[in-house]
Amino acid sequence: MHLLKKPWIIAVGVIPALVIYLIFSIVPIFISFYYSTMSWDGFSDMQFVGLANFQEVLQDKVFWLSVRNNILVVLASVFGQIPIALALALLLNRKIKGAKFFRTIGFMPVVISTVVISITWRMIYNSEYGMINNFLEAIGLGALQQNWLGDPTWAMVAVCITIIWQFVGLYFIIFLSALQTVPSEILEAADLDGASEWQKTIHIVLPSIWNIILISVVLCISGSLKTFDLIFVMTSGGPASSTEVMATYMYDKTFEGLRYGYGSAISVLIFVFSIALILITTKLLRRKEV
Amino acid sequence: MSESTVYYDKISKQARSKKRVKRSTIYLILFLFTIVNAYPIFWMIMNSFKTGQEFSFDPFGLPNDWVFSNYVEAWVTANIGSYFFNSLFVGIVALLICIMVGAFASYFLARFQFRGRNILYGFFVIGLLVPIHATLVPMFILMQKLGFLNTHLALIFPYVAFNLPITIFLLTSFMSSFPKEIEESAIMDGCGPFRIFWSIILPMSRPALATAIILNFINNWNEFSFALVLINDDALSTLPLGLANFAGEYTTNYTAQMAGLTLVLIPTILFYLVMEKQIVNGMTQGAVKG
Repeated sequence: MHLLKKPWIIAVGVIPALVIYLIFSIVPIFISFYYSTMSWDGFSDMQFVGLANFQEVLQDKVFWLSVRNNILVVLASVFGQIPIALALALLLNRKIKGAKFFRTIGFMPVVISTVVISITWRMIYNSEYGMINNFLEAIGLGALQQNWLGDPTWAMVAVCITIIWQFVGLYFIIFLSALQTVPSEILEAADLDGASEWQKTIHIVLPSIWNIILISVVLCISGSLKTFDLIFVMTSGGPASSTEVMATYMYDKTFEGLRYGYGSAISVLIFVFSIALILITTKLLRRKEV
Repeated sequence: MSESTVYYDKISKQARSKKRVKRSTIYLILFLFTIVNAYPIFWMIMNSFKTGQEFSFDPFGLPNDWVFSNYVEAWVTANIGSYFFNSLFVGIVALLICIMVGAFASYFLARFQFRGRNILYGFFVIGLLVPIHATLVPMFILMQKLGFLNTHLALIFPYVAFNLPITIFLLTSFMSSFPKEIEESAIMDGCGPFRIFWSIILPMSRPALATAIILNFINNWNEFSFALVLINDDALSTLPLGLANFAGEYTTNYTAQMAGLTLVLIPTILFYLVMEKQIVNGMTQGAVKG
């Protein structure tokens, strides 16, 4: 670490990044606080309405439905992606032919753009031509066919399955590389003591990658809170708001309903909700760690 | 053969066949995972070469004759070429700006001691927690005020701002790991801080720069929500936005949709297969460290 005689040079170095970051990432948050107290349709004059937007949002049934769906997405991600990824990583963490192949294909969905994934899965779920219904029919289970995305009972399930599919690979690879760090001497010693694979996994492997598992859980929560693209393209929140999440509802109210103030109020709540959830989980997980 | 050797032979045979069953089960599960991951994509690519009629009769088989008319239709009606160019342009410009200002700021944050350094670093990194969707509405209002709405600038700046936290995080932690002596002889020779940055620190940071560049590019290439809100002109659309609109308009022409998706997917998958190691490193490192 060095000291500079001319501290203004540091300012020259840091300011470009700081300015862009401030204006386009931090300032918008404050803008949304400001506009959340207004009633504005984007064209006519704004009107100050105080906290009326928030009052309305908090009594809005669809908003609460979207909060519930957001939580469902988080739960599906944490309890779907993490265990599946962990199980697969444990299975692949041995001398196996084609390990690289399994890894490559395993990670592939993670790099594909969410829009491509959404449109593809929309077709997979299509009630007439979709892969799933065709498959069910082909194996004689035609009775199980559903209008997956068109039926409010199934739409959220279908969306969650796609979300799990999209990101299992990320955690799969994260766990695989964490498993490489488990010291082999300890495992060999356990072998000599006649420990079964199951015992080794429970008593040695899992404890030594526990930190990475916790980090992945936090990652998974913050990642699944960002769900917007996928649902917007797959169902745009429908049918009958059954797959609405906070972000799609905000989009709808702002840009379809032209209620910029109301949309800003939802933005503020998304912000508060996300930060709160991330803080709570990091705090809970930290306590366990100690 | 005595009775006891027969007995032991039996045991080892049992153990061996048990082991074989276990191995086969592991392979079976891994293959299942691979099929679940790859088949949807394969299904889409196969069907993009079928006529609409063949697709509805036989959605699972290989195409009878390979039809390219879907591709012509997708290319012509969907303007894929122009979306492709827009995505490339916005993605690369944003990446260059982000890496330049980010590396420059990281250099000062990592190599110099000054008041408020830790606070500034923390302020940048906390940007990782800002939920993008909470800024959509205010970003729209901000861009409207700045007059950037419906220009590529409206995308470039937010892309830079939202990639800066992870870029600065990766680069600062990498640059801090160099020993202090690195610059000392250069300082003795009278090199200024900018010279040291350009000819010593930047070249040494190549691995971290590669990670940051790949992360930036993939994030920009796949980004959808800002494009959706800030771009309202088909000629300026990026790939994800253009595709979503195309699929929205041609909802019933599945094979053309699939052709459009395949056109976008193939370069992504090729890029992934060629750069797999760097991409996987970048995305998992970025994720775990972030």
